[in-house]
Amino acid sequence: MRTRVVVGVLVAVVAAAACGRRVGCTGEYCGTLVIAAPGEPDILLPPASDDARAAAVFDQVFVKLADLGPSGNTIGDAGFVPELAEKWEWDNPRTLTFHLNAAARWHDGRPVRAEDVAFTFDVNTDPAVNSPARASLARVRRVTTRDSLTVVFHFSEAYPEMFYDAVHHLRILPAHLLRTVPRDQFRTAAIGRAPVGAGCYRFVEWRAGQSLELAADSTCFLGRPHIRRLVWRFTPDPTVAVTQLLAGEADVFEYLSPPDLERVRTAGDLVTYPYAGPYYTFLVFNLRTRGDTTLPHPLFADREIRRALTLATDRQQMVQSVFAGLAKVPPGPMPLLWATWDSTLRVLPFDSAAAGRLLGARGWRDHDGDGVRDKDGQKLAFELLTPTTSVIRRQYARLLQEQFRRVGVAVEITEVDNNVMTQRLETGNFDAALMSRIADPSPTSSVALVWLAGGGSNYSHYDNPVFAEAYARATGATTRQASMYGWRAVFQQLIDDAPGIWLYSQQSVAAMHRRVADVRLRPDAPYALARTWRIPPDRLIDRDRVERR
Amino acid sequence: MTAWLLRRLAASVAIVFAVLTLTFVLIHLAPGTPFLPSTDDRSVGPEIIARLRRQYGLDRPLPVQYLKYIGSVAHGEFGESFSQHRPVAQALADAVPNTVLLGIAALVIEFTLGIALGAYQAARARRRVDAALSHLTLFFYSVPTFWLGLALLLVFGQWLRWLPVGGVSDPIVHDTLPWAGRVFDTLRHLVLPACTLGLVGAAGTARYQRAAMLEVIHQDYIRTARAKGLSERRVLLRHALRNAVLPVITLLGLSLPFLLTGAVLVETVFSWPGMGKLAADAIFSRDYPVVTAAAILAAAMVALSSVVADLLTALADPRVRLGDGDAA
Repeated sequence: MRTRVVVGVLVAVVAAAACGRRVGCTGEYCGTLVIAAPGEPDILLPPASDDARAAAVFDQVFVKLADLGPSGNTIGDAGFVPELAEKWEWDNPRTLTFHLNAAARWHDGRPVRAEDVAFTFDVNTDPAVNSPARASLARVRRVTTRDSLTVVFHFSEAYPEMFYDAVHHLRILPAHLLRTVPRDQFRTAAIGRAPVGAGCYRFVEWRAGQSLELAADSTCFLGRPHIRRLVWRFTPDPTVAVTQLLAGEADVFEYLSPPDLERVRTAGDLVTYPYAGPYYTFLVFNLRTRGDTTLPHPLFADREIRRALTLATDRQQMVQSVFAGLAKVPPGPMPLLWATWDSTLRVLPFDSAAAGRLLGARGWRDHDGDGVRDKDGQKLAFELLTPTTSVIRRQYARLLQEQFRRVGVAVEITEVDNNVMTQRLETGNFDAALMSRIADPSPTSSVALVWLAGGGSNYSHYDNPVFAEAYARATGATTRQASMYGWRAVFQQLIDDAPGIWLYSQQSVAAMHRRVADVRLRPDAPYALARTWRIPPDRLIDRDRVERR
Repeated sequence: MTAWLLRRLAASVAIVFAVLTLTFVLIHLAPGTPFLPSTDDRSVGPEIIARLRRQYGLDRPLPVQYLKYIGSVAHGEFGESFSQHRPVAQALADAVPNTVLLGIAALVIEFTLGIALGAYQAARARRRVDAALSHLTLFFYSVPTFWLGLALLLVFGQWLRWLPVGGVSDPIVHDTLPWAGRVFDTLRHLVLPACTLGLVGAAGTARYQRAAMLEVIHQDYIRTARAKGLSERRVLLRHALRNAVLPVITLLGLSLPFLLTGAVLVETVFSWPGMGKLAADAIFSRDYPVVTAAAILAAAMVALSSVVADLLTALADPRVRLGDGDAA
């Protein structure tokens, strides 16, 4: 009797569950796109976050004045696509005027006005906010409003990427909602967990650790999005994210690793989309003594030792064995994303014999026959730091250890968690480390940050006035051709000085369900054009049709 | 009984306080520091880090920070998460119900299945079925939790598509369902993580239960029960199992720490947003307030469940007298 009651209750629950779904939406604007996301944004307020996962949401909820076009050009204003600004003009070489689209509305219904743009600039340049855009706006002297729909950028000097700086780093904020938030409390503002923007998707819900949902704004001034709902499903592990995709519980995953790519290729209902990746990885040498940045490093202050180690590294073979075609050996410190990728740069080839000769010429020989070169009683040995979280970098550490061993150099690998690694890099407490960088569409900020003296991430303490001059020429060039020529000189200097060994630049591959059509991925921001993707009516599935209560 | 309970509660408070102190000191002394970005990202800059450290009081001497923290905890405040930019209490409030739900479900599977299997094996001791089940339980007992989780995920989630591969509910459908549908949806999502945690525990419990049952089954009172003409089923379930289950109740209290630690991996594999995952992430990002609060909560849960396990033992076994020295 008791068993029957239990079974009866279970059947009733299942029946109620099955009957409870309200299936309704049909037509062109019904799609629901589920994005498998390995990780969760920290906060959804642009000036308070530098998180790539948050940026994917910002691309939908907030608008810029204009955005990068398909060419990815960052010099001048050619190729940029209007967003909040329907047009712009140059009053003079240092004054740029934007005319805003009068139809733009915040998600609470208020119109977007020029004062919002001025407010956004003010917030992003306020040291108390510490916006990631602050450094890029250093040459914008002020932003003023001419009327409610006209905003003027005044630059302190004219330079090639001034338009890019003005539009790419500024996601326009609602002044009426943020004016009362103290600037030093932006990171904890309530609006950061329920953002209000003017983009084509409005915020619906963020379930911490689970999911984040956006709904299409059918009145969006940039055009009604076809996909009416974007849902990020958070999972802590990329492999599990791919499993969600393969199980049909998600529609897209933007960054497949080589093993996951094999799993996806066997699934008939998924399509892969390769795109130029923003990541590059290199071995960075510390040119200063470990733990004392005032003294030269006993090994790596010598340019010839750095060059010898570069010659001893068979980067091509390592890329082939680890990535199976999903990465390339970069000529210099650059991702595939950059237009400055130049295969004609003079690189140091793999030549272990030349490496051995170079080390011998500097006095490093194996005097005691133990397989490790030495000089004046000092072994040619160093510690290589790598993060525990990166399987690929751990693999590379071992491959490098073996390649250096062959030329008589001993490497001790130390694996530490990311936080400890960053701390040791920041304090100069390392010999060499395997670093990855995520780059902006333009090399300007990234190169300055990592290689210019005083750059926030110049952990090698590389400081060469010739390089600094080349950098100034490249960033000051007024034409695209002159700029490319300038960047060539910049990277050639880095290659010659070898403050690092440029190991690999990854090709990104996204996997998406076949039912999603008109997919265009922008390499620097894969979801930036999601509003133009669609799921045709004949490819809708149950979850597309479900109506929210 | 009341005096015993008060003594145990006081001891629990002392344990929690000790855990708080140890965690606070260890996490502050561990290498690494909060607010550092990943090396993959842009540099924050030393002046910004210094400002943030000032803002959160990390520039003060450790004893001062400790006393301030004790004062806050005494007022029920756990501070603000460095990485999530929201109150720690809010982060815990999101995670704890998920961990409790998963823990209870896993405990139910662990003890129901473990006791049933152990009793069944003891009743058929030294037969083929007993040997087969012994091998099976040994396999589940030895298998790493995350491996079992991934295997279940692959088979039931990806290949058969019978069960969802992660999360606590379906983000699209859940809110559109009536209450019964929402319960069913949550249960569907609970099956795989709870089974992963529960099966590994059940394997251990079954082996323990089998041994306890075999010991009891040869006692005189069991022989008497059989001599009275009671059915074998009644002898085993009413007389043998009731006594053999007593030591297993003690396991209940001991299982909780395992469930909390094992949950870190299971929560990762099944994208289950619970305390284990919250604490692990906080450790990696040196989110001191979250790490310490999670440790306090975990210690409190383990200490209280230990008290509850002792109470249950006393209720089940009339020979145990609480307050006479200590619980059995």
